[in-house]
Amino acid sequence: MERERSDRSARRTASGNFDPSVVGVRTFLKNWPIVLSQMEKLSVSLKRRQVSGPYHCAKATLELLRYTVGTCKWATAAQLMELIRAVGRELIAAKPSELAVGNVVRRVLFVIREEYTAKLRQAEDAAASGAAAAAAAEVSVPSLETVLGGEQLEADFSAPLPDLKQLIIEGLNELKAELEEMNSVICERAAETIHANEVVLTLGRSATVEQFLLAAADHYRKARLTFSVIVAEAAPGLRGHELARALAAAGIETTVISDSAVFAIMARVNKVIMPTHAVVANGGLVAGCGSYMIALAAKELSVPVVCVTGLYKLCPLFPHDQDTFNCLLAPSAVLPYEDTELAESIEVLNPAYDYIPPELVDLYMTNIGGHQPSYIYRLLAEYYHRDDYILAPEFEG
Amino acid sequence: MARPVIACKTDGKQEQAVVQEFLQMLGPETTLPVAAIKVLIGVIARSNASTIMGMERELRQTADLLLDSVVLHAKSTIALSSGCELFLRYVTRCSLDFPNFEDCKKQVLHRGEKFAEMSVTSRVRIAELGHGFVRDGAVIMTHGYSRVVASLLLRAAQTKHFTIMIPEGRPEGAGFEAAAVFSKAGIPVSVILDSAVGYFMEQVDLCVVGAEGVVENGGVVNKVGTCQMAVVAKALHKPFYVAAESYKFARLYPLNQRDLPEGRTPMIRLDPVGGEPAPPGVDCTNPCVDYTPADYITLLFTDLGVLTPSAVSDELIRLYQ
Repeated sequence: MERERSDRSARRTASGNFDPSVVGVRTFLKNWPIVLSQMEKLSVSLKRRQVSGPYHCAKATLELLRYTVGTCKWATAAQLMELIRAVGRELIAAKPSELAVGNVVRRVLFVIREEYTAKLRQAEDAAASGAAAAAAAEVSVPSLETVLGGEQLEADFSAPLPDLKQLIIEGLNELKAELEEMNSVICERAAETIHANEVVLTLGRSATVEQFLLAAADHYRKARLTFSVIVAEAAPGLRGHELARALAAAGIETTVISDSAVFAIMARVNKVIMPTHAVVANGGLVAGCGSYMIALAAKELSVPVVCVTGLYKLCPLFPHDQDTFNCLLAPSAVLPYEDTELAESIEVLNPAYDYIPPELVDLYMTNIGGHQPSYIYRLLAEYYHRDDYILAPEFEG
Repeated sequence: MARPVIACKTDGKQEQAVVQEFLQMLGPETTLPVAAIKVLIGVIARSNASTIMGMERELRQTADLLLDSVVLHAKSTIALSSGCELFLRYVTRCSLDFPNFEDCKKQVLHRGEKFAEMSVTSRVRIAELGHGFVRDGAVIMTHGYSRVVASLLLRAAQTKHFTIMIPEGRPEGAGFEAAAVFSKAGIPVSVILDSAVGYFMEQVDLCVVGAEGVVENGGVVNKVGTCQMAVVAKALHKPFYVAAESYKFARLYPLNQRDLPEGRTPMIRLDPVGGEPAPPGVDCTNPCVDYTPADYITLLFTDLGVLTPSAVSDELIRLYQ
């Protein structure tokens, strides 16, 4: 009975004002209280940093969106995309600095577009009608070819197609599997990136980098070869200590240094393995605070900087300055709250990230291979639809 | 508005008629390449040719005629040639899609109506893509008068406060022309000496210039003085952006300043300031445009999206492969 009523009201909404951006996503989701509560829960977790780090944010966002697609009622792909965008905007607003959230929303929209287009073409082929309409549904990337020739007909995603939901869910499952396997795929390239007897430097603790280093160590152990790792501790969070512990446990020769010793030790380093928070559209990256200093030191001494990252960190937004995608953390890590006397007279800042311009990065080692920073724009065109680049203008301008 | 003085250096009657038609197409909203494309469409409409081959030959002749006989004052004809090349390429591609000659001709003419709006729509798109790079309170340096840059900065001025610095742009003083446009829109603007670019660069947050042509390696050809501005910007670590429509992408690969095609990039005699004639025996020949290598350019704002310089060759290769 309850179910029937909610279905009816959903139909009413669907026939009337479906657009969640008009009625507000919360009002709209009242028909599906579980989805609404899941969304609220994730928003709060993001705000409180209970869910943090690109991988966990990406995974949680994908779970929620997949659940939304499966649970909410929608008639056409256009309605679904509007809903996904609205939910995505809520999550981005909760924590704008977690760029992976927006990336996953864009990927999900991309999957919906792809499945719709494929299905539409299939349906049309079956009906053997209108080659023009099929061509219209083609996802067109703007290029010099289309400047003059292309009619720029975009599919409007309004055709109701049977089984579309099933196809999209399958697409999202693939996306989830891709996300989960990403790190192990990157690790396959560990041995070709880190050579035997090299000295590599890294900062803080990133799950990707940790697995990457352990994979390289595994590879060389069989041949009784070794390499050594210098870990900058990444004050004030000191996550570098955790990484050092994990590496030492695996038998890798590990040295921990304070962040201020980076320049002094750089002369001995063969390669910097840079962990990252996000890769941005110009090929630069947003990484933990302190990485800019490392990248500059590496440049000064001509040490190559290799950024190891899965493509869920690839973000189509442009950084404008050091502050664009940054956020400030609690100052207590820098200056304990007990020190009230000093705290009264000074300002304490604890920024979370650094922006590193593309000219300081030599190579991106991703799950689909090694790329130069100047190639990032091509990956963007393959991964996202350009209409989805800007999801929440107030946070992404 | 003081648009470049355009002269025709041909005697043939028919040739003059074509050039005349081209000149009439030019307006405040229509750029050189778009006007050229319109002329070429006119050629197709009037053509008696009954084969693709014949039509292409007529188009090629007209394009060559335009390139040879249109002389621009203080401007290069690189964009003109890239516009013609792009259109000829489109006709070739169209003939592959529509094997029937009449169908092909119809299709080209039908699309032709859209080209008229092309300059305006690309400019709007570039303004939408690029205005986010202008931050509140920024100081922006630009050079020459570019309609694309103007539309970008005017779009940015709708939501942000910033100031503009612009070199006067000798010899024709394009800087004053641009400054008048910005000032009218209420943007604080100061005109500086061409030789003061280095002095003011430390106060600047970003540079954005237009282009007369974008070459294959992602470098640009633009009003003389652009190259020195880019070099100074690079030295002081300031981002240097270029805003240009994609029909200005040219298949040139210059390695230095003198590699630019002769005839397309005019040299002018420059009399000293003050009106006094130059002392005898002193050479006052100067270029109107210069070539800025891709190394000095941070990003290009085009209607195809925000591109890195290396993306330009990708686009050109995809079209002309």
